[in-house]
Amino acid sequence: MRGMSAPTPEVLALLEATFDAAVLIDERGRILAFNPSAELMFGYRAVDALGRNVSMLMTSTDRAGHDGYIRRYLDEGQARILGTGRDVRVRHRDGSEFSVFLSVGRLPRTDPPQFIGYLHDTSLRRKALATLEKERQLNRLYLDLAQVMLVATDRGGKVRLVNQRAIRVLGRPEEDLVGSNWVDSCVAPDDRPAARSAFRQLLMIGGDEPQGCEYHVRSSVGEDRFVTWRAVALRDADDVATGVMLSGEDITDQRRAESEAHRALERMNSVSRLATMGEMAAGISHELNQPLAAIANYAQACARLLRMPVPDTPEIGGALEQISVQALRAGEIIRRIRSLVRNEDVRREPRDINDLIREVHALLASDARVHDGRLGLDLAEPLPEVTVDGVQIQQVLMNLVHNAFEAQGNQHDGSPAEVRIATRITDTGDVEVSVNDRGPGLSGDLEQKIFEPFFTTKPSGTGLGLAISRSIIKAHSSRLGYRANEPQGACFFFVLPAHQENST
Amino acid sequence: MKELPQTVFVVDDDDAVRNSLRLLLKSAGLQAEVFASAPEFLAKYEAAQPGCLLLDVRMPGMSGLEMQHELNLRGATIPVIFITGHGDIPMAVEAMQHGAFDFLQKPFRDQELLDRVQRALVRDSENRARLRHTDRIRERLASLSPREREVLELVTQGKANKMVAGDLGVSQRTVEIHRAHVMQKMEAGSLAELVRMMMAIS
Repeated sequence: MRGMSAPTPEVLALLEATFDAAVLIDERGRILAFNPSAELMFGYRAVDALGRNVSMLMTSTDRAGHDGYIRRYLDEGQARILGTGRDVRVRHRDGSEFSVFLSVGRLPRTDPPQFIGYLHDTSLRRKALATLEKERQLNRLYLDLAQVMLVATDRGGKVRLVNQRAIRVLGRPEEDLVGSNWVDSCVAPDDRPAARSAFRQLLMIGGDEPQGCEYHVRSSVGEDRFVTWRAVALRDADDVATGVMLSGEDITDQRRAESEAHRALERMNSVSRLATMGEMAAGISHELNQPLAAIANYAQACARLLRMPVPDTPEIGGALEQISVQALRAGEIIRRIRSLVRNEDVRREPRDINDLIREVHALLASDARVHDGRLGLDLAEPLPEVTVDGVQIQQVLMNLVHNAFEAQGNQHDGSPAEVRIATRITDTGDVEVSVNDRGPGLSGDLEQKIFEPFFTTKPSGTGLGLAISRSIIKAHSSRLGYRANEPQGACFFFVLPAHQENST
Repeated sequence: MKELPQTVFVVDDDDAVRNSLRLLLKSAGLQAEVFASAPEFLAKYEAAQPGCLLLDVRMPGMSGLEMQHELNLRGATIPVIFITGHGDIPMAVEAMQHGAFDFLQKPFRDQELLDRVQRALVRDSENRARLRHTDRIRERLASLSPREREVLELVTQGKANKMVAGDLGVSQRTVEIHRAHVMQKMEAGSLAELVRMMMAIS
C-alpha cells in the first residue's frame, strides 16, 4: 500500500457497517477499502482487493473508461456520476457479470481525493422482483383457479383483492370491487349486521384458526347468493391485524336443491297423510268387515248345525270360539283407528289457522278442478293463534271440502260447484272455521245420521270421513257442527279456542 | 258319463272368513273347498269340475278381478260370485261386466249367500248340460259326408228339395236321399229341430 493514504478508522467503521457493498478508491482508482458486503458481492476478500485497481470489478467496456472518468473529474472538477448514481454492469471474481446500482461520492477533505462507491446489487433485487412477480402471478393463478370466492380486505373492510370466482358471483368488475367496502357494497342488506360483527370479531380474536360464518352476498343484478365463509385475520409481524382473508363457497344452488327436496318431502308427507284419510277409512272398513263377516258366518253356521237332528257339538264349539276370537280382532282394529285419530305423538302448537288453510288450499284446488268447481277463501285477518295439530286440522279441512264438492256433484241448475272456507272471530274471541257449499244441504233426518261411523250417502263412500273429522275436532276440545248455509247448502264448522299467551 | 258332484270353491286370503264360509256351506249340506290365494286355486282347479266359485275381490298378490280374467282366458265357465267389502262397489261392477255371476257384500246373511250359491250351481249344471248338448250336435255334424253337409246348409236356409237339387246340379230324388240321411245322422225329428240344433252351435 505504498504511496497510498490509508483511510481513517472512522471511515473504515462506517464502511464496515454499511449494508451495501462499498469500495473506497484513491485518485488513481486503487482500492483503499473493501467492505464485507463488497467481499460477498464480488467474491474477493478485502486483503486481495486492497491496492488493486477498481477496474478489476468492471466489465471490459467500463474498464477502459474508468481512469478517464476520474481524470476528467480531477481536471474539470466535474463528475457525471457523483451524487446521482446509475446502473452499471460489474464483474464477479468468477468472471460472471451482473448489474448494480452505483453511487459515487467524494470523501470530504481528501486531497488527492478519495472516492467511495456504493454498490447496490440490482440484479438480486431485480431477480427478487422477478421472483416476486412470478409468485404474484402464480398466486393470482391460484386465486383465480380456486372454486371458492376469495376476498382480502384491509382492516377497515376495504377490498384489496378478489379472485375471478368472486368477481363472477358478484357480477362486478374487479376495479369496481377493489377499494370498495366489502360489507357495504357486497353483502345483502339484511345480512350486513351479521357480516360486520363477524368481521370485527375476527380482527379482535387472535390466532390463525379460520372462523366460519354464513351470509348472503348481493350480485350486481340484485340476486342474493348464499355463501358459507371461512375467514382468517391477516396479521403483520407484530401480530397486529391488518386485514381479513375470506374464502367463500356459494351454496345457493345446493341449499335451494336441499330445501326443495326437503319441501317436496314435507309436501309428500303431508299429502300422503292428508290423502290417506279416504284410503285409510276404506282400508279400515275392509279390515273391520273381515272379522264381522266371519262372525256372521260362524254364527249362522252354528244356528244351522244346531237345527240338525244330531248337532255336531265339537264343530259348534269350535265355531263359537272363533266368534269370540273374531270379535276381539274387530275390537283391536277399532282401538287402532282410535289411536290413529288421537295420534298420541303429534305436536300441538300455536298456529295461525289462516296459514294452515292457505297451505292446504293448493291441494284442495286440484280437488276443485276435478269437480269443475271453485274453492274460495273468506279469511278474517288477523286472527288469534290456535293451538292445534296442523296436519290433523288440514285433514279435517280436506275431508270437509271434498265432501262439499261431492255433495254438489249433481247440481241441476248447471251452476259450478262452489266451496268456501271461512274464518272469523267469535263473540268469545275464539276462532271459527267453516266449510260452506251451495249443495242441497242436509235434511233433518240426515243431520242426525251424518256423523255416525260408516254412514254414507256416497256410492263409494266409507262413511268414516266425517266420523274421523269429528274425532279430530273433539280431540281439539271442540265440536264439529252442522248448520244450514244461507241461502242454501251445507255449512260444517268448528270453533277453536284462541291460544292463551302465558302472561310473563 | 257320470256327473261329478258339485263343489263350492272359496278363495279368500282371510283365514277367518275362509273357514267360516266353509263351515257355513257345510252346515247347509254343500261340499266346499277353500283356497287362501288365487294362484293356489288356479293350480288345482280343472274346468271339468262342476260347482261355483266364491271369490274375494280384494286379495294381496293376484286380486279377484285378475283371477276372473285368468279363468276367462282359460275358457272356464264356472259361475263366480264375488265377495266384496264396503266401498268395493266399483270393483263389483267391473266384475259383473266381465261376466261374474253375482256379488255379495260382506258381511252377509247366510240365506243371501246360500240362495246365490244355489242359483250359481243351477247355472253351472245348465251351462254344462248345454255344453254337452252342443258337443253332441258337433259330433253328429262331423259324421256327415261333404254332400250331406251341403244339403243340410241349404235346407236349413229354408230351401225346398227342388231348389236344393237345382243349386247342387243333382236330381231331386238324390237330394231326398241325402236329406233323409242328414235327418237320421243328426237325430232330428223335424226340420224345425234341425234348425234349432244349428242355431245352438252357431
